[in-house]
Amino acid sequence: MNATPSSPPRWANLNTLLGIVCLIAALVFLFYLVPQHIEQAPRLQNPLQSPRWLPTVAGWIILLLSIALVIEGCLRPPQPEEGKGETGQDRAPAWRWLLLLVALASYWLLFEALGAIVAGVLATVLLFLATPVRKPWLYGLAVLLPWLVCLLFIHVLNVPLPSGSLWE
Amino acid sequence: MEGLNEVLTLFLSIDNFIAIGVGVLIGVIVGAIPGLTATMAVALALPFTFSLAPVTAILLLVGIYKGGMYGGSVTAILIHTPGSPASACTLLDGYPLTQQGKAKKALQMALYSSCIADVLSNLALILFASYLAKIALNFGPPEFFWLICFSLTIIISIAGESVIKGLIVACLGIIISCIGMDAVHGTQRLTFDNYNLMDRVSFVPLLIGLFAIPEVLDFYLKKASPHIRAASSGVGLTMKELKASMSSIVRGSLIGVIIGAIPGTGATAAAFISYSDAKRRSPNRANFGKGELDGVAAAESGNNGVAGATLIPLLSLGIPGDVITAIILGAFMIHGLTPGPVLFQENLPVVYALFCGIMISSVVLLAVGHGVIRYFSLIAEIPKAVLLPIVLLFCVYGAFAVNNSVFDIGLMLFFGVVGYLFKITGFATAPFLLGFILGPMFEDNLRRTLLIGRGDPMIFFRGPITWCFIALTLLSLFFALRRYWLERIRTAP
Repeated sequence: MNATPSSPPRWANLNTLLGIVCLIAALVFLFYLVPQHIEQAPRLQNPLQSPRWLPTVAGWIILLLSIALVIEGCLRPPQPEEGKGETGQDRAPAWRWLLLLVALASYWLLFEALGAIVAGVLATVLLFLATPVRKPWLYGLAVLLPWLVCLLFIHVLNVPLPSGSLWE
Repeated sequence: MEGLNEVLTLFLSIDNFIAIGVGVLIGVIVGAIPGLTATMAVALALPFTFSLAPVTAILLLVGIYKGGMYGGSVTAILIHTPGSPASACTLLDGYPLTQQGKAKKALQMALYSSCIADVLSNLALILFASYLAKIALNFGPPEFFWLICFSLTIIISIAGESVIKGLIVACLGIIISCIGMDAVHGTQRLTFDNYNLMDRVSFVPLLIGLFAIPEVLDFYLKKASPHIRAASSGVGLTMKELKASMSSIVRGSLIGVIIGAIPGTGATAAAFISYSDAKRRSPNRANFGKGELDGVAAAESGNNGVAGATLIPLLSLGIPGDVITAIILGAFMIHGLTPGPVLFQENLPVVYALFCGIMISSVVLLAVGHGVIRYFSLIAEIPKAVLLPIVLLFCVYGAFAVNNSVFDIGLMLFFGVVGYLFKITGFATAPFLLGFILGPMFEDNLRRTLLIGRGDPMIFFRGPITWCFIALTLLSLFFALRRYWLERIRTAP
């Protein structure tokens, strides 16, 4: 387990890094977010009834646990398989996650403007292209399915979905 | 004899059987759609019951409720998207089983354990309603407070590889649950003046985001891998496997019955407590979370054990245990019936006819579940490149449907990224969810206890029920930490 000159030091591992990130986040939460963004009640019978009490306790526990995580990371580095997801050797090409990003953005940013059906068709087609799906008839499904699901939501389940402010 | 005739006349109507069948089918389908819950289905069906006979109307709603409880597990097992909060526990082992090509096995285990739990829960309703209702009546805020504390100890057993990481995300879940307007003081907590956050973080977008979206992100951020046809999703559950899980199912059902009889606790806590109990007792506990059939059985039996039991306080005391039973209470009132002791005095034949229908609904659930499993398990064989965009479509529409708000779509995507980060950094998601669910219950009951005790801390130790839960909390903590240390010693280099 001794570090060789070429290998990173024993303490440089995912858990130590996560512990430091959590520690900083907990400090920001406790000393900035709680005082600035949680209003204190004007009158309190008991400090345990304060709106700040539970978030503060949870924040302090995270702070203590993140210190524990840093210590654990230094003393007992995680086994290589625990950090498998971090290697990045199976990462997809950039165009693929770019298409994913555009599809998600179209759902979020264009849902009301394009309407549920068009946004659904656009995102589904983009995601099919990202893989890419090679059977042409499946693209027909990408058009048909959002339309059918939309009808199900609107007419059967009585859930109103936006029809698109651009087309009105 | 005259009473029996009246019960049979009320119950043996073709309308009742159709209502149960249609209700269960609607419940299973709606429960299986991410974002749509059994609560929504019951609420939507309520107006359709106005013209029905009282027994038929209530059986339709009960059928939807029970179907929805099971339906939620289908998507949890197949696509890592819990259809309901309670089925979030089912996916811990259900989804790994699907990944191993054992989707049908997991679905059947979920169905059988749901049905067995449902029958036991119904029997508890019929035989012990008045007795359990008396116990449930003794639950005040201090008892609830300790029950929540006991439930929080489960975090240690579902923390995954690292207990420290599990506890960190559980605290993070508690902090996220605090966002919104403070219920007691009316002050704002971490809303950043955004009115969408005033009414707390919506549960459905969080649930979908945390579990379904990371699967989508994971798939598209990795190199495309060829689809492995999971032909073995057609392999069903064997009698031997069901028998092996029977003790977990029975224990989970009893946990569900007890939790369900207490108004306001809910099926999610029951599912996690049952899962934790099964994991503690199992010789295969190391396999929990990696595709253990016993885990699916325990979670589903805990979850469904609640279904019949929530009707105990409703029928015997007129107190709805959760939102769905509150809607069913509304249906009773619309039809001129008042649940509570008066119902048993004035409308006893109606009560017995309902009991008959509720028992039949378990059999119908089994039949409908069997029928739909063969089609649902085909979902596991659809290539991910086709399936995931469709799942995302349902997720987005479902998240929007909660408040008709695009903000909820953004919230779902945000928690999707959070869930993905959890996934790649080795943080378990289940403790976050448990912290999010139990955090507000913990705070509300702590505050109520302090209010009714006028600041006297002795209120927390006021009776045998509080002592019982304190003992359970301490024992659970002790055994969980002991197991954790033993495991650390065993795996020490």
